[in-house]
Amino acid sequence: MPQAHNRSPVIRLEGVARDFFDGRQIRRVLRPVTLDFQAGEFTIVSGPSGSGKTTLLTIMALILDPSEGRLFVNGRDVTALSDDAKATIRLRHYGFVFQNAALIPALSVLENVLIAHSVQGAAATTMVQERSKTILERLGMGGFLHMKADKLSAGQKQRVAIGRALINEPGLILCDEPTASLDVDSSTTVLGILKELSRENRAVVLVTHDPRVFPYADRLVAIEDGTVVTDTGTSPKAEGRI
Amino acid sequence: MRNTAALKMLFHDRASALGSIAGVVAIVFLVGQQLAIFFGLLSFTSSLADNSAADIWILSKKSDNLNSSGTLPMAYRDRAAGLRGIQWVEPLVLSGALYKRRDGNTQAVQVVGVRYPRLAGGPNRFFLAGPEALGDGEGITVDRLDLPALGRPSIGDVVELNGRRVRIKAVTDGLQGFAGSQVFTGLENARAVTGMPVDRCTDLLVKAVPGVPIEGLIDLLKRVLPRTEVFSTQNLSRSTRLYILRNTGIGVSFGFTTLIGAAVGFIIIALTMYTNVLNKSRDYAMLRALGARKRDVFVIVFLQSLYVAAIGILSGFFLLAAFLSGTRGSSLPTGMPVGAAATIAAGTLLLCLAGSVLAMRRAAKAEPAGAFR
Repeated sequence: MPQAHNRSPVIRLEGVARDFFDGRQIRRVLRPVTLDFQAGEFTIVSGPSGSGKTTLLTIMALILDPSEGRLFVNGRDVTALSDDAKATIRLRHYGFVFQNAALIPALSVLENVLIAHSVQGAAATTMVQERSKTILERLGMGGFLHMKADKLSAGQKQRVAIGRALINEPGLILCDEPTASLDVDSSTTVLGILKELSRENRAVVLVTHDPRVFPYADRLVAIEDGTVVTDTGTSPKAEGRI
Repeated sequence: MRNTAALKMLFHDRASALGSIAGVVAIVFLVGQQLAIFFGLLSFTSSLADNSAADIWILSKKSDNLNSSGTLPMAYRDRAAGLRGIQWVEPLVLSGALYKRRDGNTQAVQVVGVRYPRLAGGPNRFFLAGPEALGDGEGITVDRLDLPALGRPSIGDVVELNGRRVRIKAVTDGLQGFAGSQVFTGLENARAVTGMPVDRCTDLLVKAVPGVPIEGLIDLLKRVLPRTEVFSTQNLSRSTRLYILRNTGIGVSFGFTTLIGAAVGFIIIALTMYTNVLNKSRDYAMLRALGARKRDVFVIVFLQSLYVAAIGILSGFFLLAAFLSGTRGSSLPTGMPVGAAATIAAGTLLLCLAGSVLAMRRAAKAEPAGAFR
């Protein structure tokens, strides 16, 4: 059960805004927003194309710097950290599920999960390998450990991507339209898994423009034209949608 | 895990991986075979000194290479032989001559007159017959590899050297000179053929008593024999090679083709490694998003270039070994000193890494935001 309101947020955006220069003028694509994301909470950020939701996601991912405002991860101000320090925070505290799974086709299922652990050079110890296998078995991919990633179906790839997101036991999982290229059955499976993961003391934030995903949310944040227009918060009402 | 990922990512794009390896092979093989021929030719220039069994060579004044000596009085031989620390001194006659084939055509040769039975400076490998051939007054040797150029003579054939009748008594095995065919004969016959007075020779070869310092003997010989140049065999060999390098186009020619080989390989490596990274730019962006720092991505491409270098260098040296094996005993001179092979390997590794720098930089520049598009 979500216990978000009683805990400090996994990630906090405080007055975060973002401007882009389009060659002629500066355009504000994300207006100042303050949001907290709690462990145990499955949040869906929605909005039409160009609304600023991906900008918000990449700022939360410490990939895009905000033009103003501050970011806190587990209570630590990470706004002004170096690129390397941000990369290390992503490695240790974040899990990512991308739109098209973004697995490395040259690697096997197991290797695709392990690379997320070893990308900064850490050894894939027996313990890490066992943990990877356990995660993949839980996701129904235990029988595909040594299969090349490019041989999998879209739904299977996305499950491996979720496994990859989990290998470092992150407190926050960011998902970018993870069901966009999936059929209904696969979407249901993936969303069910993500929902379940959010119950394991981690925050799951999913960005989508697909309203069919909304019923899974504990909390719905809607963005239009760079402004948060709806934030249901984690409420019994929101939980009741599920 | 990162090593495995680097290797698998490299070979997932087989065409560009094989292209990069081909670039490395091109460097090793093209540069290697050019250098092998270069060293083979260069060894010809000093082969007389290198195979002479002498420790010291005495040449006429102002001579700086094997082929430049004028004549020396034979009295110098006796004077040198009487010195303490010298085991033996042997005269040598070295001069050009015209060899007349049975069909009437002529061929320029280098006549080497040596004294029997020691044959210091003489042939040490025989294909047909043996050293006793040079004990015969009119006997000469020709080399197996020169037989076509000399009209395919047989043992016992009578031919002419500078218009003087000589008889082929032996065939040497792969003893060619840089300037042309080497014909060995007895000292007296060489004098007769080249018109050299009986009290003259072109070089004196000195063997030191074992344990006697060569440098000390050289100083002593310089004092005792005026108007001479005295070299250790090693120095004469080096000096002769340097003379040939400086005064012929061989150095520039082989240097240029070696550079071309290296440049072609470098360009192939640079283009194919860059293509490989471009084709995988989304993978690198994803790795950056997951938490790879720029240097981590750099390391992956660096490892890939090491794999390419290792596989390419091994394959290149395998081909080069086949080339050297195939040319052994042929008229194409080849040789590959261990030091040169090590230099080629190290140089190729550096070129491979240098060729991969653009690819490394491109990979490191992969934007993690690219994973979200």
